[in-house]
Order: sequence, then structure tokens, then C-alpha cells
Amino acid sequence: MRVLRWVFQIAVVGAVVGLLLVLIGNVRSNSSELGIPTGYDYLDNPAGFPIADSDFNQRQPVRDAIRIGVINTLRVSLIGIVLATVLGTLIGLARLSQNWLLRNAARVYVEVIRNIPLLLIVIFAYAGIALVLFPRITEPWEPLGIAIISNRGVVVPWHDASGWGIVAVGAVAGVVAWLVARLRRRHADRTGTPARSGLWGGVAFAVVAAAGWLLVGADVTLPELAGRGTTGGIRMSPEFFAILFALVVYTASHIAEIVRGSIQAVPRGQAEAASALALSGFQRSWFVVLPQAFRIAVPPLGNQYLNLTKNSTLGSAVSYFELAQVTSISVANGAPAVPSYLLTLLIFLAISLVLSLVVNVVNRRLALVER
Amino acid sequence: MPRISRNWLTLFAASALLFSACTSDDDDGSAADTAAAGDTAAPADTAPAGEEGGGAAGETLAAVQEADVVRCGTRDDLPGFATVDANGDHVGFDADFCRVIAAAVLGDATKVEFVDVATEDRFTALQSGEIDVLVRNTTWTATRDGTEGVTFLQPTFYDGQGMMVAADSGITDLAGLEGGVVCVAAGTTTEGNVATEFERLGLQVPEIQSFDDVNLLQQAFQEGRCDGWSSDRSQLTGLRSNYPDGPDALVILEGTFSKEPLAPGVRDGDSQWAQAVEWAVFATIQAEEFGITSENVDQEQESDNPSIRGFLGSEVEGDEGAAVLDPGLGLPTDFAFQVISQVGNYGEIYEEHITPLGLDRGTNALWTDGGLLYAPPYR
Amino acid sequence: MGIPFAPSPPGRVTRWVRRNLFRTPFDGVVTVVGGALALYVVYRLVRFVLVTGRWDVVRDNLKLFMVGRYPTVHLPRVSVSVIVAALAAGLVAGIVHRRQLAAGTSTVAHLSPAARVLDLVQRFWPVLLGAVLVLALTTTPGPTLTAVGALIAAVLGRVVGARLPKRSHWVVVLAAVATPFVLVGYLADALGWDGWGGMMLNIFLAVVSIILCFPLGVFMALGRRSHLPLIRWLCTGLIEVVRGAPLFVLLLMANVALGFFVPREWAPSDVMRAITVFTIFTGAYVAEIVRGGLQSLPRGQEEAGRALGLSPARVTFLIVLPQALRNVIPAQVGQFISLFKDTVLVGAAMGLFEVLRVATAVTTQGEFQGQNLLPETFGFVALLFWVGSYTMSQESQRIEHKLGVGER
Repeated sequence: MRVLRWVFQIAVVGAVVGLLLVLIGNVRSNSSELGIPTGYDYLDNPAGFPIADSDFNQRQPVRDAIRIGVINTLRVSLIGIVLATVLGTLIGLARLSQNWLLRNAARVYVEVIRNIPLLLIVIFAYAGIALVLFPRITEPWEPLGIAIISNRGVVVPWHDASGWGIVAVGAVAGVVAWLVARLRRRHADRTGTPARSGLWGGVAFAVVAAAGWLLVGADVTLPELAGRGTTGGIRMSPEFFAILFALVVYTASHIAEIVRGSIQAVPRGQAEAASALALSGFQRSWFVVLPQAFRIAVPPLGNQYLNLTKNSTLGSAVSYFELAQVTSISVANGAPAVPSYLLTLLIFLAISLVLSLVVNVVNRRLALVER
Repeated sequence: MPRISRNWLTLFAASALLFSACTSDDDDGSAADTAAAGDTAAPADTAPAGEEGGGAAGETLAAVQEADVVRCGTRDDLPGFATVDANGDHVGFDADFCRVIAAAVLGDATKVEFVDVATEDRFTALQSGEIDVLVRNTTWTATRDGTEGVTFLQPTFYDGQGMMVAADSGITDLAGLEGGVVCVAAGTTTEGNVATEFERLGLQVPEIQSFDDVNLLQQAFQEGRCDGWSSDRSQLTGLRSNYPDGPDALVILEGTFSKEPLAPGVRDGDSQWAQAVEWAVFATIQAEEFGITSENVDQEQESDNPSIRGFLGSEVEGDEGAAVLDPGLGLPTDFAFQVISQVGNYGEIYEEHITPLGLDRGTNALWTDGGLLYAPPYR
Repeated sequence: MGIPFAPSPPGRVTRWVRRNLFRTPFDGVVTVVGGALALYVVYRLVRFVLVTGRWDVVRDNLKLFMVGRYPTVHLPRVSVSVIVAALAAGLVAGIVHRRQLAAGTSTVAHLSPAARVLDLVQRFWPVLLGAVLVLALTTTPGPTLTAVGALIAAVLGRVVGARLPKRSHWVVVLAAVATPFVLVGYLADALGWDGWGGMMLNIFLAVVSIILCFPLGVFMALGRRSHLPLIRWLCTGLIEVVRGAPLFVLLLMANVALGFFVPREWAPSDVMRAITVFTIFTGAYVAEIVRGGLQSLPRGQEEAGRALGLSPARVTFLIVLPQALRNVIPAQVGQFISLFKDTVLVGAAMGLFEVLRVATAVTTQGEFQGQNLLPETFGFVALLFWVGSYTMSQESQRIEHKLGVGER
């Protein structure tokens, strides 16, 4: 019986491996017949296409294009995750509001948005909102004189100089904030006073960051109109706006349901006990209900973050140069299809992996707190 | 925890697959060995056809004849060249050349399966055998010839890249676009040409925004997302003549900044099929030179001119009596007759689809009229 | 929604308003500001639908939206298919009702006929709304006749189904499962499915992929829980790789790279490629859902089966799987809804003429181009998807309640 099992398993695995080998063989024979390379040497060839919203030009190698694609994917995903979480939480809380109007408005939002295809929202956000609602560059909106909004992008003031200084300052500020928060918690454990570690940490972060930023140079460039474009500041292209907007709006409708479900899953007794202890409404939510709800929400939230990251590939429908778009354009410009797409899949697999790793770590930490 | 390690395993397996699939051919099998752990690597090595393309010759023509339909890669969104009418039929210059090929190979211009392929995947569609021939406004370049596994044939249209701007923008030359935005179709030769041309002129290269979808591009242009729209001049002319605000709202700037010979393409390595397609195209050109149109082709079949008779597949008096000229292209001997009677000669196709756009023959006139169209003699 | 503004003494209204809209001062501000905003949005929406919307772009192209380039002379085939599908659905509904009556689980048995109709309207009002709106845009009598025919067929099926002898039930169910295949064959007889387009293509892709992915998912789930390590690793690897990949990239890849993996003569058509990708992709997700169902099942079930002397295969297929699958029906429906919505990706990724591409393409037609009619065409497509997805999700919630999932 044991032997039979192993024979069966080896037969199945052998069949799968054999199938893979046949497939690989097909790729090679089809490619060599057409004179298409099957290796990764093409990564060093000139890309042959420019990438909008970057200083990439068509003589740079494909490798660089892919790097820009990865960065753009990560950029829209990370910003999207943060914004979708905020919006989704707000809507999820609104779903539980005692205000009839707010509750039902949130319900309509969720039931409408999550039942229509994301791609539809993406294209509409571009062709129906970013291109049409935003004014032309010849007559831009200039709110407060510090930003320029047109359908060539939203330009806001930004720190001038290389990004690394700002990153270093942020890192230092983060570490200081963490230390302060930790200190406060220790102090609270000893004395029993409220820790307010978030407040202290936040203030510490702001102070250190501001000081560091002044130290680095504190150069801010204001956006200015220059002919048919703008100079200075940092620009969010309409393509980026469209995919970000769609991802946030769509994912928020799913996150809202997770938030609502998690809060409802916290046993009523918890809130009642908090009331019995004479905690205020805010304290009841913030210290009793929400932390427990968060624990329940982490795994499905992680799933949504993964989905958002994968959905960012729809940016290619509106010419946002994330990884999928870079891949498809480079294939159109002579990169071999099979290696290009396998590489892209692998990169996405790695991104998913890292994300699920982070979610798992958070999940485990939360689970430990329970004991 | 087990979940994480499982994920790593997955990634590892996937990368092994990736690199085994894609290490270059010269290290025969060794890569497959590492992935498959040994002895089973043989199938991967036996499969590749050793002689470059040798095995494929003649397959396509036979396959097309067997399927009794030509799968023609084209598009549905380019006025004049290939659009879809209300009945869902493809119409246009490129679409008609698909019909020309079907008429020549199968004797019936309706036996075409139009496969709309996107700009980015047109070559892969050809490579993977999804289509038999690509007639989709495609520029013949050396790199494409070399790396895309495609063989280009007699160009059906000699084009060049131009730049179009809104008439009220005040832009009169390329210098006016400095600091602006130029929109182009993604995955085309035009993408790179814009930057090259600006650099050649010593101008600051504008921001280049590319679009997969011509519809989206047009909307972006209309809404002022970009100042310039660069593409083949024929396309620009077609788009301009169909522009919602009227053609006068747009100006095509002087100057052509590239050569864009638009040619049908077939898969590398099948010269028989390539010849068949090429001679189908030549037939339209030769017919115009002979003055044969779809109107008079029936009479011309009985023409006294032996060249014309031979061309149309009528019997020609020769040394050994009357015979039909069979040049051995693998095509029916009356293929030219079928092409002309069912679709028309080059001039007729041009008149029907391109002239309405407002483009005169120019370089696309016959060589006898000072153009570039020249068909090798049919004898 | 049960708004208690109905004829009731003013005291109750005031109390309701105070409790639900003006509980605290902050609440009052939210209500006033939000109410104004909501009224404005509703006003704009109604105005858009009734006054400003240029619905002629949808009306003139309704055929493209619904069935793409399907030949006009063969449109009766579509009507026949819709009616037959409605009949099959009605028959199955009748059988289900009969079985529920027998089992005592029916929730509508005690209702009067009028109340039952009302219940049905409450359940399927989005479908009714969608149908009415679509029919309002038609210019020929065909679609209306089809809708009426489908309604009659459904009612007929429901009445007949409830009266069929119990012996014949399995025949009817088998026939209902076979119906989609027969209908696809019947429709493809006029125009091969590679030429299909519009909503018909989306529905076709979704239905076929749903049917195909289900067995695949179940087998992968069983494989992942197998006692045989190699099989387990294989299934786990496959599931995780597929779930880690974006569907859009898989479709792009199927479009340009799949042809390399098979001998050139076998190169599948675009529609086949799309179905392959959807099936494998959704199959991996279904596998995870089914695995969840399997894990939630008490071990005692399997042990009891073994104790009765059943073979492992019989335990799996007769005891474990039926219960596990029943428990995960709602999650499955959720997955199928996303598959349905994801069918629009084949337009952007593979150039198939599905409904969202129709919506973009028609705005560039001569008389409609350059007028920003995207809100109209996209609104229409959004409505179609919303009707389908919302109804499915509501029905799945109903099932969820019935199964008592989440109440343990």
C-alpha cells in the first residue's frame, strides 16, 4: 500500500514535470524557429520606447524600464493601501452609525461600488474625470496659489533636493518616535498614568522631522506654469490619479465591509462592560472595541492589500506605466514574450510574498498580545 | 509559519521554472537538468527544430487551404485603413488587402477571418500562429525584421511620420512643442521617432505620453492632455478628416520625420506562403499598370495582349500550343483574376478608402507616374 | 427599506427623526450637510438619467452592447436561448421549492400568493429594473417579446417543476446542468464563439469558466489536503503561484505568450485562452474556499464514516465534500461574482469585443465622438454588472441565512 502510494505520487509528479518539459521544449522550438531569443540577454538591449512621467528615454536598457515599472507599481500600491484603509475604515464606521442617513449613504456606496467592475472605474476615472473635470493647462485651477491643477496633472509644492536626505530624516524621526513611545509605555507601566504613547511619539516624530528637514536644507519648490507645462513641485499625472482613485474607491468598499464585520464580531459584552466601567463613547471604541476588531480584521485586510497590489496592473488600461504596462510595451518593442512575462509574474509573486509575510508578522504579533 | 515557508517554496519552484524555461539555447539542456533534477531533460532537447525555420516551409499555405480561410491580423479603429461598420464587417484599405490575399489563395475574397490584434501583441499573434498574415498598418524596420520573427513583404503603403496639433494652439513647427506633451500610440515606431527627431533638430524633447487605445488617445488629445499628436501622416489625415470638431480644427505640421513603409508581414521561415501573399499584393499593382479594373476584368480576360492573358490566367498561345501560365507560386493560375474581379486593383482600393481621407497618391503612385509602386513582371 | 414615513401618527415620525437623524448636535450637522449633499447627488443623477443623458448612444448601439456582432438574422437564437434558460431556472426553482416544502425549510410556504410575488419582487427588483431600462431603450419588439416569453417560461417552469414527481428530479437537474452547453452550441452554430461580443461574451465566459473551474478547484483543494506529500506540494505550489499572480497579467500573457507553449498548429483562439486563464485562476481561489470548508468540518464526520467501513474515497465524496461544499456556498458565490466582473478584462488584455470595449468604442462613432458620452455608456454597462452582481450577492446572503453560516 505504501509503495503503491509512492508510485502513484511519483507518477503524478513525473507527469507534471514531463508536461513542463514538453512546454519548455515547445517554447524553445517555437522560438528558435522564429529566431526569437529565449534568454534574458534582452534586458540589456535599448528599450526603444520612452516612459511618460519619468526621465527614462528610449536608449536606456529594458532593465531600467522594468525597474521603473516596479517602482511605479509599488508607488501606486502603497499609497493606495494607505488611502483605501482610511476611506474604507471611515465608510465602515459610517455603516454602523446611528444616523440613518449616514448609515444608508455608506450602504449605497458599498453596494454600488463593489458590484461593478474595477476596470470600468479605472477608465472612467481617467476619461470621465481626470481628463474632463480637470481644466486645461491654459486655464488651470490654482488653489491658494500653491498648487496647479489641470488635466496634465496635479502639481503641489515639494521638497527639493535628492530623496535620500528626506528618507534619512524620516528614518531617524521614526526611530526617535519609537523610542519615545516605548519610554512612555514603560513609564506608564511603572506609574499607572495614561501612556498616550501615540501622542508623544507623534510629537517626537514631528519635532525631529522638522528639525532634520531644516538641517537638510528645507528647500521647497513651488509649482509654476511654464509654457505648456509646469516646473517645480511634484506632479501627479492624470494617469496616476486615475488608477489611484479607482483603486482607493474600489478597495475601500471592500475594506468597509471588513471593518463593519469585524466590529460587529466583537462580542457585545465587551462594549457593555466598557460602559459599565463608565468609559466614554470614544474610550469605549478606541480602547476596547476597535483593538479587538482590528485583530479580527487583519487577515482579510491583508487579502485586500494583496488584491489592490495585483489590481494596480489595470493602470495599463490608462497608460500608467506600472510593471504590466512596461512589460507589454517592451514586448511590443521586441522583447521576447515568454521570458518577459515570466519575469513579471515572478516579480509579482515576490511582491505578494513580501506582503503576505508582513501581514503574517502583524497577525502573529497581535495574537501574542492576547496572552 | 508553515504558510510562509510554503510560500518560499513556491517562489523557489517558480524561479527554477522561469530560468529553466529561459536560459539561452547554447547551453543545451544543462538548465533543464537543474530544474528537473536529471535524467528527464531529453524531451526539451529533441524538440527544437535544428535548421532555422527549415521545417516550417510550406506549412502555412497548406494549412490555410485546408482551413479554407485566411486569418488576417488587422484592427477595428483606424479610419481609412480598418474600421468596423454597423454590420460588424471590416472595411478599409488594410481590410481589403486581407480580402486580396483570400481571393488569391482561396479564390474567394470573403474567406477571411479578421482577427483584431492590438498594437502590442500583433507580432506575437503572428509568431504564435494565431494569424496567418498581418496587414495592420505595420512599419517595416530592420529590428522588427530581425527580432520579431516576421518577414515583411511588398509595402502596400509608403508613409511617413508627422505631427498634428490643434489649429488654435498657435503651434506652427516642432519647436513650438518644446516643454509640451506629445501623445503617440504605444508599442509603435512612432514612440521612439519623436524623441529622435527632436534631438536631431537640437530641440528639448517634449514629454511623450503613449496610449494603447487610439480612442483614449483621441479623447486625451481633444481634452488638451497633449499638445501634439504624432503618427503616420496617413493616419493623421484620416483622424483629422473624422475629427468631431471638423478637420479645420487640426493642423498637420509641415515635415515628415521618418520613413514608414507599411507592409504586410508573415512568419519567418515559410517562403512559399510569403511568396503567395507578396504576389497577391503585386497583382493589384500590376493590374493597375495594365489598366485592368474590377469593371473590365472580364473583357480583359479575352484581351489580345499575351501579357495580360497570362496575368489573368487565360490560355496563352505558345510554342507548344495554348497553355495557362503557371509560375509555380502555389497559387491558382487565375489568382490575379480573382483578386481584381472580387476586390479591385491597387488604384481602386486606394480610391475607395484613402482618397476620401484627403490623401493624394503621392509616393503611392505607380512607378510610371513617378511613385514607388513597382511590381516585378509576371512571366 | 422599510422607511417608517408611512401613515403613522406624527409623534412616531418625530420620535424616529430624533432618534435616527438628530441624536446629538454633531449628528444634526451631519444630517443637514449630508442630506443636502445626498439630495444634490440624487437630483443630478435623476436629471442625468431622465433629462441630460444622451441615451441615444446606447439605444442606437444596443445590439452591440448586448450581443456584439452576432448576425441580425440569427438574433431569434438568442431569444430562444434566453427563454430556454428561464424555463430551466424555473424548473429548478420549482423542484427546490418542493424539496424545501418536504423538508420543512421553506420560508415562503406560509405566505399568500400575493405575498410570495411581493417576496420575489423584493428579491429580484434589480433584475426587473434592469430589464425595464434595457427594454425602454429598444426600438424593435423582439427584446420585449423575449422578456415576456422568458417570464412566462420561468413561471411555467416553476409551476411544472413543483408538480413533477420526485423520481424525475434528477433528470431535470441533469438537463438543467446540460442546458448551458446545449445553448452555447446552438448559439455558436450561427456564429462561432470567437466572433461573439458584447454582454453575451461576458456571460458566456463567466458561465463556462464557473462550470469548469469548480471541479478543478475541488480537486486542487483535496490535493492540498492529501496525505501524500508530493501531491500536496504540487497542489499547494500551483494554488499559491496562481493566486500570487495578477489576473490581468495572466490574461496578457495568455494573449502573447501562450502560443509559444504549444505546437503552433494548436494555438488556441482568444476566447479559449480567456476561458483557460479564468478557469485556472478562479479554480485556485475556489480551491482555497473549499479547503476552508473542509477544515471547518469536524473530524468526527470523517472518523464516523471510516467507522462505518466506508472506503476513503466514499468518505470524501459522500460525507465530507457535500457538507463542506454546502458550507462554502456563499463564499463561492462571492468568487463567482468577481469572476463575472473580471470578464471585462478580456477587452483590455486580449482585444476581445466584450461589453466594456463596446462602451468605449461606440463613443468614437461618427455622430457620437468627442461629446464625452462615457458617463452614458459606462453607466449603462455598470448597471448591467450591478444588476447581476448585486442580485447574486443578495441571493447568497439569503442562502447564508438559511444555512446558518456565521451563526455558530
